[in-house]
Amino acid sequence: MPCLLLKANELDFEGRWIVSLQDNKRTLVGLLEIEKNNQDWKAYLEGGPVEIKIKENEIEILADSRDVRGFVFNRRLSGSLEDNKIQGRYQQEGTAAQKEAPGPWSAIREQISDLSVESPSKTKSADLTGIWTATQELDFRKYSMTLTQDGKDWLDSYLPYYDQPDVRCTSIGLPALVTYSFPFEILYSNERLTFLYEYQAKVRRIWTNDEKPSSFMTSSRMGFSNGIWEGNELVIKTRLLEKTVRDFRGELISENALIEERYSISDDGETLTALIIVDDPDNYERRPIRRRQWVRNSSTEIFPYSCDPDSFYIPMYEDGEMQMYIDRSPLRF
Amino acid sequence: MFVVGYLFSGVTHSHHSFTSEFTAEKIIKLNGNVKQVWFRNPHVRYLLTVGTSEDKSETWDLRGSPVVWLARKGWTKDIISMGDNIIVEGYPGHNGRKMLSIIRVTLSDGTVLIDRAPE
Repeated sequence: MPCLLLKANELDFEGRWIVSLQDNKRTLVGLLEIEKNNQDWKAYLEGGPVEIKIKENEIEILADSRDVRGFVFNRRLSGSLEDNKIQGRYQQEGTAAQKEAPGPWSAIREQISDLSVESPSKTKSADLTGIWTATQELDFRKYSMTLTQDGKDWLDSYLPYYDQPDVRCTSIGLPALVTYSFPFEILYSNERLTFLYEYQAKVRRIWTNDEKPSSFMTSSRMGFSNGIWEGNELVIKTRLLEKTVRDFRGELISENALIEERYSISDDGETLTALIIVDDPDNYERRPIRRRQWVRNSSTEIFPYSCDPDSFYIPMYEDGEMQMYIDRSPLRF
Repeated sequence: MFVVGYLFSGVTHSHHSFTSEFTAEKIIKLNGNVKQVWFRNPHVRYLLTVGTSEDKSETWDLRGSPVVWLARKGWTKDIISMGDNIIVEGYPGHNGRKMLSIIRVTLSDGTVLIDRAPE
């Protein structure tokens, strides 16, 4: 009997996909959501909008990103859908400091893991202690996000660089600190994990008991974190956050935000991976997602970090921009 | 001590946004004498005196990575001092501003320092 190969229907693209893209140096992973509203296709990568074209079983996506220097560029992904898998090639477009060679990409349907299999536990399940050094893997660094009107209004008012917290030695807070490329150390003590970040010398306490913030505790850039183990995955939820910007792009994190981090460790205990999800309906229509990976590095150490904002203020003064900066004070935090 | 010219693009980095300050469209190379050193977080800064063809000089504002990143690679406070002659390559400031996001520095003894952090 002849084998019948069914060609994909356009509507087969709808749904949630896990995209994997192979740069010549690394693999990037992200959540791609494809929807059809009336006759229009909409798509979102890691919570942010992307351009999409679909014709029969062919697909093309244009996704913005940025490199570490902050230069913005696009990745164009072209491919086709067969046997419930999308495969194709991608290439970088635009000017970026970090050049990527064209490479393959693919997408498979998101598998929803059954978390109920693993009963949540406050007991330490995996050894995360030690110093961790960031790799270049995983994160698409999706640039634009799907903002609410309030989120857009805020972003319109934001002045890059001048309103950025870290240039004046103010804490960048969460979630940005988790995604930065500097090493951090995890300590474990009874009913508590302590994260020591090299960048800005910041400390996070993650309570693995029923600890709650006192009624007098103020919001902060680090917020108040509780952690729970789901099998070998550490799930941290952080509330009581002070307003900050999500990244230097300037999108807002409100005081109502909840940040969820899911940490998992490789079987050999040497690679740590985090999925970081921002739930902030005040500013985002879809939850922004970031990813980060580290490797255990016992040969390094956490360096001290002191900060002097003179390199920010003095040039601003010399350029005659100080009054502008002062006038914008109510817009900064 | 002159502005040497344009190179090919390449290389990466810095920890916070210089998008509004620098352009990725080109890389330039400067040869000059170090006028001032700021080896501090959140990022190091050098002022560089560069000669121009009219027998005059101009001052360039060079910006680098945080101290913690550079120091880990051996780029310490004393490796570049006031008065040193250096060649530096990097991304220039927007709209002709005499600023440079450092990619690479060549010291007078030929030592090359790379300001390149991982993603």
